Amino acid sequence: MSSGRQWSGNFGSFNVNSNNIFNFVTEIDGEAHQILQWLSPLEPPKQHQDVRIGRLDGVGNWVLETAEFKKWSDEEDGCDEPVLFCYGNLGVGKTYLR
Amino acid sequence: MIDTLCDQARGGIAVVGLYCDFRVQQEQSTTCMLGAILKQLVSRGGIQEHIRDAFQKAKKEFGGRGLLLPDLMGILKRAIAPLERVFICIDALDESAPEHRRELLGSLREIIRVSPNARIFLTGRAHIEDEIVKCFSEAVRIPVSPTQDDIKSYLEMRLDRDTDPSAMDDELRADIMRAIPAEISEM
Repeated sequence: MSSGRQWSGNFGSFNVNSNNIFNFVTEIDGEAHQILQWLSPLEPPKQHQDVRIGRLDGVGNWVLETAEFKKWSDEEDGCDEPVLFCYGNLGVGKTYLR
Repeated sequence: MIDTLCDQARGGIAVVGLYCDFRVQQEQSTTCMLGAILKQLVSRGGIQEHIRDAFQKAKKEFGGRGLLLPDLMGILKRAIAPLERVFICIDALDESAPEHRRELLGSLREIIRVSPNARIFLTGRAHIEDEIVKCFSEAVRIPVSPTQDDIKSYLEMRLDRDTDPSAMDDELRADIMRAIPAEISEM
């Protein structure tokens, strides 16, 4: 599933070919299904799909270009601050950052 | 954020996420939220024997007991340990119940403490900044507000999707495209 990625600084496009965001267990045996439900009834991957569908190309991509984001996402183990917090009012697009 | 991280991710890197929602605040307990993160890691890497054993044991007792936070944390740390890096993305943290949020932030701090390979991305409104800084004093903070281009793109999309296009003409459209971004930039 790692093929066909559209990276190369092309932030503005909406070529989302990688669908490995959350790899579901592909062959779900009965017990595996029960175990996953036991761990949590919440299904963030479903909500994530709605977010992807509702996203508007390019909006908020400047955040991904900041030095802060790049440092946080690239740094190797033992980085000084492993927590990144994006804050803002309701509706400014925090959820839809690509 | 999740999609960008996924596109960058190599084999040993996991990206997992969670969306807090005030409408189901009480259902999003700390164990449910951390359990959802664990669930994604387990879905990705397969269900290990110790998790099956814990499940089988829990199933036999009292008609199937749920995991408690300390046990869940133990399993979660074990799932994170072998990975090259794990990005945990939690959206709209301000929409979680305050008592759950405190516990969640404390648990995330514990994960960071024992897992040098873990990275945490949080979004929320500014009023929870103090809570986050209290937990993670050195957290990198980025204020998010839409750029003029963002606002224009959004307006164009909304105008294109207008369900009553007969009420719109070029002049009105141009007025909207001029007035609203100007108004917002003055705020």
